[in-house]
Amino acid sequence: MDELVNVEAVSRRFPLDNIPAHHPAHSFVSALSDASLRVSAGEFLAIAGPSGSGKTTLLNLIGCIDKPTSGRILVDGVDTSKLKPGSMSALRREKIGFVFQTFNLIPVFTAAENVEYPLLIQSVGSRERRKRVAEALDSVGLSARANQRPDLLSGGERQRVAVARAIVHRPALVLADEPTANLDTHNATQLIDLMHGLNRRLGLTFIFSTHDARLLEHTERIVRLTDGEVISDTTIQGGSRG
Amino acid sequence: MAKFLLLAFRNIFRNRRRTVMTLFMVGGGVAGLLLVGGFFARMFWGLREHTINGGLGHIQIFTVDHFNRDEVRALDTGIDNWRQVAASVKTGGHVRGVAPRIEFYGMVSNGDKSSVFMGTAVDPVAENGLGFFPTTFTSGHDLDSKSGGEVEALIGKGLAKSMNVKVGDGLTILSMTSDGALNGVDVEIVGIVDSGIAEMDARSLRITLPAAQRLLQSDRVTNLVVGLDKTENTDQVAAELAPRLRGLPQQLVLKKWIDLATYYKQVRSLMSTIFVFLGVIVFFMVLMSSVNTLLMTMFERTREIGTMLAMGTPRAWIVALFMLEATLIGILGALVGVLAGNLLGVLLNHSNLNLPPPPGFTVPMSFEVLHVPSLMVGSSLLVIVSLALASILPAIRASRLRIAEALAHV
Repeated sequence: MDELVNVEAVSRRFPLDNIPAHHPAHSFVSALSDASLRVSAGEFLAIAGPSGSGKTTLLNLIGCIDKPTSGRILVDGVDTSKLKPGSMSALRREKIGFVFQTFNLIPVFTAAENVEYPLLIQSVGSRERRKRVAEALDSVGLSARANQRPDLLSGGERQRVAVARAIVHRPALVLADEPTANLDTHNATQLIDLMHGLNRRLGLTFIFSTHDARLLEHTERIVRLTDGEVISDTTIQGGSRG
Repeated sequence: MAKFLLLAFRNIFRNRRRTVMTLFMVGGGVAGLLLVGGFFARMFWGLREHTINGGLGHIQIFTVDHFNRDEVRALDTGIDNWRQVAASVKTGGHVRGVAPRIEFYGMVSNGDKSSVFMGTAVDPVAENGLGFFPTTFTSGHDLDSKSGGEVEALIGKGLAKSMNVKVGDGLTILSMTSDGALNGVDVEIVGIVDSGIAEMDARSLRITLPAAQRLLQSDRVTNLVVGLDKTENTDQVAAELAPRLRGLPQQLVLKKWIDLATYYKQVRSLMSTIFVFLGVIVFFMVLMSSVNTLLMTMFERTREIGTMLAMGTPRAWIVALFMLEATLIGILGALVGVLAGNLLGVLLNHSNLNLPPPPGFTVPMSFEVLHVPSLMVGSSLLVIVSLALASILPAIRASRLRIAEALAHV
């Protein structure tokens, strides 16, 4: 399979306080140390680890919403460390879909309008937008809730809208940061099943982070992080469905 | 674009209480400007019409010499062939009437006491033809052009008080003739006038044109006063009259009312400056309070902005969204203000409130406001622009948020 993401010896350190880097008292905290990872197109990959292990930092770096302190990341062959902010923004817009822990839907938009948003910022025509939004909502089973605003949807429904929003523009990669953290077990399992189904049916590449051991049963490949370091990268042949 | 506009519109109603407060503030500013501006406009209009119809006229015709040199003797810069000029002017459109006048000065005496007067000689019939405000008499009546007896005179109520005379009493007026000699005439007071301007009433004296010409021993007049059907036609009539005056033996010049209404111009200039100052205050009030509100809005939506940026929304779009939201609030606030300002204006106009007489006047001023469309547009633009400007700082801050930090914002 084609390589979609290549993380090469990436570290991310965050400065502590507001002391300049050249000052003797300058200190920093290391969120990610020398992490390497290769992800092929069509993979369904979980990044696991306890809180503070660097999962979100790694996803942010792969998703081009943060830059590594050292090392480099290639997304679809593009070295993101060399991109200017505008190009990073365009890369995210066109090639990456995001699912967030707290859903992060735009509260004044309906479910359909939220799903439509990534197409709006890509200036897709209105007819094409309507078609793709209908397809995306149908694929997450929420066609009937298209005109509801987020505050009238359940947590599970909101996250499914978020998934529809992440896939509507047909990205090469979907990143989900703790997508089940705010869901009960039933909705969490449903969501993982949904993402898995989309991965198989549409060939979408999913990388999601979790610290919930139960969800890892549904995943073919698990990368484990501890204290910012990759401690294991396990592939289970054929995956395991509970 | 429509969805973007929809997003901006819905966003401004996310916190309804805050939006309503902002609309009240913006609307209050617009309504305040409309009321003050409308009151000033009414005052300007009233002062303009009072100045013109109180005797100034819409246009006055003088000799060129009148402005080039001082009179050495009475009427030596006056108009010779004024009957011919008046007849020519009368034939023009929008002209209601033409009245000859002589401005002169001298001493008035009651036998015991003398005082300076500022005299005007008029043709009562021609003056009536101008269609100006009727003279306000505290007692007596207007001059009679056909009176065959003693010379009739109207005097201001201040001068009457000073001279201790009433209607029916006699006075002697003295003035220099066109030859430089001193001449005098006994006059009978037929009316006492209240012009509303105390300074004028303390010195004014009016007699008929033939009486003044006999006193000054000249057939000339100082000027011709032209009355029009509407003040708004002044420029048009002046433009039509100017070429007709050029072909006459004596060099004449016409002056529009605005050229002669010094007091009006001073009042207008002062009030306009005050209004601009008020506008600046409203502008900064809206600007400063809106910056705070919009910064608060930005802070509350930090994670949402982070999400939009993470999805690849161009940073310029975030700036545009915030500015659009502020502009929409400005437009809504302006609408509220225009409605409220006009409603309050109507209520005030029906309240019959009076203000004390302005400086130099003796009659109270009615508290009325005009509904001026240009003022509504100007005030609305002022608050819309101030809100758009107020949104620049929050908009730029929002667009510069670090995405990872914004997404972690609680």
